[in-house]
Amino acid sequence: MNHYSAGILFGLTVGVLVGLLFVMFLFKKRVLDTHFDERQERARGKAFQYAFSSLAISAYAYGVSDLVLGTWCDVLAGVSLCLALSICVFAVTCILKDAYLSLREKPRTVMTLFTLLTLANLSFGGVYAASGGLVENGVLTFRAVNPIIGVATLVILIVYIVNHLLRNREEETE
Amino acid sequence: MKNLRMKAARAALDLSQQQLADAVGVSRQTINAIEKGDYNPTIKLCTAICRCLGKTLDELFWEG
Repeated sequence: MNHYSAGILFGLTVGVLVGLLFVMFLFKKRVLDTHFDERQERARGKAFQYAFSSLAISAYAYGVSDLVLGTWCDVLAGVSLCLALSICVFAVTCILKDAYLSLREKPRTVMTLFTLLTLANLSFGGVYAASGGLVENGVLTFRAVNPIIGVATLVILIVYIVNHLLRNREEETE
Repeated sequence: MKNLRMKAARAALDLSQQQLADAVGVSRQTINAIEKGDYNPTIKLCTAICRCLGKTLDELFWEG
């Protein structure tokens, strides 16, 4: 392992640890919570099924595309794409079935968090794109992980807001 | 099928969907889904709702 690879490994490990600590902090402060009622649990179970299928299909499609087209993205970016797709499938299914946020989570706080995550990740993506680090020799690099996460959280945010507005209108007309 | 009896019993006690949901420990959307007939609750939730609304299972959920 050369210094460059060791640096990347160290950076990724620190990033994951900081992310985990941040999520633990959010759970401790009760911004995030996992208390769902029976209808939500059932809906989330169905969403997990769809997400698992999406992950299996996208991982297979990624493997096939790599064989057929040659390497078009590095493994970390490819795995992140597959994960982001399945997370989006899970989140969107949950949102449409009113089972995304738990009983104690405050929509405004969670969506503000998503907005910040989206902005931060897309900003990193913008910086990488401007410096030319996003694509090297025609291959999407691991630096694409940030914009991939950014796009995924943006999709979840948009679906949540649109669904919320549509539900409000529906309830007003009832 | 809509559960109008549950809706009427809730309204009679002047409870909102949110208040009933808080009392039985579920989300407002779940109460809404039960009243609209979109969700079939478990017996545990049915009894909790009955207890809260002062009705029997037959009165609220039996489709005779």
